[in-house]
Amino acid sequence: MIVPYGNVLLLAVILFLLGAVCALTRRNLLMILVGVEIMLNAAGLALVGASLKWRLLDGQAFVLFIFAVAASEVAVGLALIVYSQHRTGSVNADHYNLMKG
Amino acid sequence: MKTILFLLLFFPFFSGLILAVIGRYLPRRIAEWMACASVLGSLLMAILAFGTAGEKRYLLTLFDWMRVGDFSVSMSVYYDPLAAIMAFMVTFVSSLIHLYSVSFMREDKDYVRYFCYMNLFVFSMLVITLADNLVFLYLGWEGVGFCSYILIGFWYSDVVNATAGRKAFILTRIGDVAFGIAIALFFLLLNQLSIFSINDKASSLSAGTATLLGLLLFWGAVGKSAQLPLIVWLPDAMAGPTPVSALIHAATMVTAGAYLLMRLFPVIVLSHVAMTTIATVAALTGLFSALAALGQKDIKRILAYSTISQVSYMFLGVGSGDVTGGMDHLLSHAFFKALLFLGAGCLIQALHEEHDIFKMGNLRRRLPVVFWLYLAGAVSLGAIPPFGGFFSKDRILLSTFGHPEPIYRVLALMAEITALITVLYTFRMFFVAFLEKPSSHEDFEKKDLKIPRFMVWVNLPLAILAIFAAGLNFPEAFGGKAWLSHYLASIPGGVPSFPVSPGLERSMEIGSGLLNIAMLVMAYFLYRPEGRFLEYPSPVLLRKRLEELLFSGFYLDRLYQIALVGPYRAMAKIFWLKIDEGAVDDRFDATGNSFRLFSFGLQLWTTGRLSTYLKMLLLGFTVIVSILALSWYYFR
Repeated sequence: MIVPYGNVLLLAVILFLLGAVCALTRRNLLMILVGVEIMLNAAGLALVGASLKWRLLDGQAFVLFIFAVAASEVAVGLALIVYSQHRTGSVNADHYNLMKG
Repeated sequence: MKTILFLLLFFPFFSGLILAVIGRYLPRRIAEWMACASVLGSLLMAILAFGTAGEKRYLLTLFDWMRVGDFSVSMSVYYDPLAAIMAFMVTFVSSLIHLYSVSFMREDKDYVRYFCYMNLFVFSMLVITLADNLVFLYLGWEGVGFCSYILIGFWYSDVVNATAGRKAFILTRIGDVAFGIAIALFFLLLNQLSIFSINDKASSLSAGTATLLGLLLFWGAVGKSAQLPLIVWLPDAMAGPTPVSALIHAATMVTAGAYLLMRLFPVIVLSHVAMTTIATVAALTGLFSALAALGQKDIKRILAYSTISQVSYMFLGVGSGDVTGGMDHLLSHAFFKALLFLGAGCLIQALHEEHDIFKMGNLRRRLPVVFWLYLAGAVSLGAIPPFGGFFSKDRILLSTFGHPEPIYRVLALMAEITALITVLYTFRMFFVAFLEKPSSHEDFEKKDLKIPRFMVWVNLPLAILAIFAAGLNFPEAFGGKAWLSHYLASIPGGVPSFPVSPGLERSMEIGSGLLNIAMLVMAYFLYRPEGRFLEYPSPVLLRKRLEELLFSGFYLDRLYQIALVGPYRAMAKIFWLKIDEGAVDDRFDATGNSFRLFSFGLQLWTTGRLSTYLKMLLLGFTVIVSILALSWYYFR
């Protein structure tokens, strides 16, 4: 592997933190979803790097699973967002407070 | 024979079932027609069975019901002359009352419910009549109780009616418990539940157990037949429709208690104590309720108290060891009392739901047919010789008088006084309701007294039977055939234990007959149109007191209210407020509150905001991962 594994991990961490900050600070449901996607891909990047370093294919197989999860998450998540928009006329996450104890 | 008896039992059941399931979707004509036809079919089967059987007995098992270990219950019937007479009476009276009901309920929308319960009632009553197995009999016993409850409260939207239904149900239940215990005891002692076998083996019972069983059975019968001290439900049961009162609370169900004792007579007769108790309670009840009937003004309540008093004669017959006499009176009573109730139903509908006899009057002119029919019922109830109840009642009096025990002489005297009061209250009701009155109420004059002609004429067979009921058992002392006595001679207790000589019989019957006629004349002078007793309540203070006493049935209801219902209510209130709400509920509430206090801190966390949750999720995840990483680093 040309790129040192440490660099790959660093990139993955940076991506993960970017995604997390995005998911936490934005109030728009769509942006939260985007943040979650970025976090998932950061995890995928770390797995691919590890797979190349140790020459084991398990990591790459795992990435396929992550793609599948991400795809279905987007499908369901977007449908929910569209529905919520219809119901309440808003995609602001803080407007949904039915679960308040 | 098996088919006949099966059909006899199950015609009304199937009709009731069909009405219950799809009755709502049937046209009114068809539903009514089916209800009547099924009971008429039963009547036909009863006659067929009577013709086929003659004096033979049949013990048949229709089908098995349940079987647990050596305890098995089958739906079996025991058909003997007693059951034959009873089955005929029940189906005959029910048929006429069903036909009458078609007219009576013509404006009621709930006819399906009505006919369904009536059919189920007839089925349950026939089960009591025919059942051999005591558990099967108990099914019918509870069935009639249920139908009685539901039909008393038929117009349940009025709370008074619903309460009357509940009262009847609860009070009869007090008796039913004893009957249930008696059934369990029979199984325990004899390992038998069949009436036939129990009667067969009764002599193996010891005197003590026989007394216990006899008293338990009597207590069960007291509840069903509204004898002292469980009298109070029957007058209130008049809240139901009049045909229901006629069928259930006069002709059939209330006599079921007496019938049960007759069915199990070999057990009862073993115990001297039980027999004396039955006779004493019966004589007391008779006198008590006849006096109470004298103070009523509601025509149906008069008849209700009269029913209690007449049923007590049947018990007196059993208590004196004369089942035939009791059955004879049961039969004639069923005819004339059903007739009187149905006549009263005609009056009440004609006068637009007026029950007070003192507000009636002039009805002889305005409802002549009802007048004659009612007269037939009245002379039978009043036991004016030679009509209706005269010979049956006198036969019971004679059997009581002939009993060697001295106490029975007193009981016979009480029963004779009851008979005289019976004449008085019967004709008080009759004269006050039907004769012309100088101060008659003009509002009824103007009103249109129209009732369907069918409703009046359907009473005719009853009237004929009521008047000629004496012919069924015309005593041999007067040159009669005494057909019923011969027919019932083969059943246990069919022949009186202590017969009196024909000479005594003749003189006593003539004597009491003359007394009854004298009472009738006296009643006329008291309650004739110009009589002084037509005001109610009377203006004189003393009589007013007396009338109030009689009107309230000797304050028995109030006594129960104070002595039983009051303490029970108070106790229930303590249990409710102090124990249930005070102790149990409050402790639970306290526990709940403490949990709430505990969870108050957690409650703040659930803000319902997605961003908070996400932050917390990430924070928790970071903490877990950090701990894992650190522990891996240090403990590697």
